[in-house]
Amino acid sequence: MSHSSTSSEQNYDEIHQAFEDIKTKHRDDLGEKDIRYIKKIRRYSRIFEVIGRGLIWIMPGPLALIGVPFLFLHRNLEAIEIGHNVLHGQYDSFEGIPQFHSKKFRWKAPIDEAAWRQEHNGIHHVHTNVYEKDPDLNHGFLRTNAQVPHNKWHYFQVPIYLFFVYPAMLYNFNAQNLGANDKFRERRFPLGNKGYATFENTEELTEDAAKKRHQRAVWRVWAKEYGVFPLLALLTGSGFFKVFLANMLADVLNNYWIALTIQATHLTEPLQPEDALKSKGKWYVSQLDSSVNFKGTRKQSILWGHLNYQVEHHLYPDLPSHRYPDIAIEVQEVCKKYNLPYKTNKNWWQAISNYIGLLWRFSFKRSASVPLEPSFLEKEASNAK
Amino acid sequence: MLNNMKNTLHPWVIKKIGRDWLEYVASNTMNVATEAFDPFIWTYDCKAKIVEVRQETADTKTFVLLPNQHFKQPLPGQHIELTVDIDNTGTPVARCYTLSEIQQDTVSITVKQNPDGKMSNWLHKYGREGMILDISSPRGQFVYRDQEKILFISAGSGITPCYSIYKAFETQINQPDVAFYYRSRTPDETIFRQQLEQTKNDNSVDISYSRHSEEEKTSYLPSQLIEAYPDIKERHIYLCGPEPFKNDVLSYLDDIGYDLNNLEVEHFAPLQATSQSVDSFTGEVSVLLKSKNIRFVIDAKDNDKTLLEAAEANGVQFEHGCRSGMCGTCRTNLVSGEVNGQQLGKSIYPCATYPASAELVIE
Repeated sequence: MSHSSTSSEQNYDEIHQAFEDIKTKHRDDLGEKDIRYIKKIRRYSRIFEVIGRGLIWIMPGPLALIGVPFLFLHRNLEAIEIGHNVLHGQYDSFEGIPQFHSKKFRWKAPIDEAAWRQEHNGIHHVHTNVYEKDPDLNHGFLRTNAQVPHNKWHYFQVPIYLFFVYPAMLYNFNAQNLGANDKFRERRFPLGNKGYATFENTEELTEDAAKKRHQRAVWRVWAKEYGVFPLLALLTGSGFFKVFLANMLADVLNNYWIALTIQATHLTEPLQPEDALKSKGKWYVSQLDSSVNFKGTRKQSILWGHLNYQVEHHLYPDLPSHRYPDIAIEVQEVCKKYNLPYKTNKNWWQAISNYIGLLWRFSFKRSASVPLEPSFLEKEASNAK
Repeated sequence: MLNNMKNTLHPWVIKKIGRDWLEYVASNTMNVATEAFDPFIWTYDCKAKIVEVRQETADTKTFVLLPNQHFKQPLPGQHIELTVDIDNTGTPVARCYTLSEIQQDTVSITVKQNPDGKMSNWLHKYGREGMILDISSPRGQFVYRDQEKILFISAGSGITPCYSIYKAFETQINQPDVAFYYRSRTPDETIFRQQLEQTKNDNSVDISYSRHSEEEKTSYLPSQLIEAYPDIKERHIYLCGPEPFKNDVLSYLDDIGYDLNNLEVEHFAPLQATSQSVDSFTGEVSVLLKSKNIRFVIDAKDNDKTLLEAAEANGVQFEHGCRSGMCGTCRTNLVSGEVNGQQLGKSIYPCATYPASAELVIE
């Protein structure tokens, strides 16, 4: 099965070059097309917002629910296809669109941008699936592989996440990116943060500053969704609670949608070796080995923020996302040529059920005795011996 | 009418809400409508509005500026860069001006009209209340560092940073021992004369007037300084003025054996256009990080370090991840200057690029 020469250093250099060539090709092609794309998505987001909020405001009683899907579309586009991709710096090199530059962009999501960029771009994308390094292996306290020490909370991880965390998934990110989750584990877990990635305070924030950033990111969403718009409705004779509840429903749907999308895009096994980063070729392979795509149409992909092209996203996090479907074809060719893993679920549902199955399996202690599945890089290395 | 309303509202908003909250609200409500409604508040750029124009002397005016929320709190002695597209050519002119006064919400620049100067003439001719200008956040190392005994030596419009530091002492409880030497041609040309003379009673301020030619100045200065300040060697000196004046003072201080480590000199060296070849850059590199408003210098011996490593060696943190040009976390835009290595149009990857010009400005 294994390509006999994959593990030679020279081969990794070739692999590196092959992936770099794809990157260079698309970088050279960046231009008007990308600016038009992101502007178009923003325009659609605005249109959906006007329709959604308009319907929620005008329609009487339960009929206001008709507006919720539109509001959901607006919030979803803003959160992932625009927000997540823009914060990767995918549009930083284009002049004239400062609103889409990663350091100027403001998210319509309850997540602090600077802390997110540092944690997500700088840690998760670099140390993907590395034990005690990648915070996205646990999103709080999940146990997703046998190496994490088991405690009694893990028995309930499936219902806790499905019923309590996922409906407010986006609100969990600040806790992950600004340190609150570490404190929770320190307080509640017998072994504290053992087995978990902890907050690397790269900005050297004081506790108060981190708290302020955390709260401000949340309040900007709450003030708008649960303050301004319900009050506007009240002032114009429409119902306060009707708007409040409809906005809350859109918020929950958005959170759940994103939670299921991001959870379905990484296989949390096998864990990756920490030193993959030392060789660029190996780093690319470790990204291939820890990400999984699921199939969807172009339009569906936009609603998933192109996260269903997780493999391509992890290889080239700062190339504009709408290029991933094209890049995927080229990546698959390289994988075929060098016999590298390219993982795909056939649809979203299969991706989700796989993931929930995995959460279930690792909620039990006995899984500790199951031997760890080695990463592709480790298998190659031992084959070479 | 709307403009008048905004002119009254802006100072009020910045005073009452404060720059921190204003930034939070404005950045989170940025859209086409708000940007069109008030481009002073809903903007990504650091801007200032002229709120008052004062005639100081016949050829010198003070402009009181109200900066928007992107402005960082300045230290006395720092300067700002003013950028104006004077000829409407799309290539704006930039000049540095010291903040002559720093108030709660406003800052002032004092501009002497220079017959050949582009910016100073433009400001004198067109600068009026309500006008909005593009400025930088405050910069500069010419700031007070808690020394106990200090001496300001300034001439001409070089008085501005010294005066700014001097004035800040007024509100301080532990005042240092200050001496102020200022050289000006005639009383009429003396900037801040009234203000300085008011404080002259305590003998700390000397204004010397001279119409001497450049040659005579050299012979005139040394005796004057040593007479005026017998304890000059114990004092930390802040020096600012025209180049010939600065050079005279420097050589004089060197002659009397003054410890030059205790000397702060303000430079307004204009950004030099670099023509050095990209491959063979060997000199010292000065880097300005605009977003954080930090300036640092990379030693010539560190030229083989990446921009990220060089910044870290200077205690400056960049957002970063993989350190090998893969993840794009450190990616930022180059405003001016040149680099070697991985770049994409104006975007550069500090972890995989090397400085290649004497001056680098990064977003």
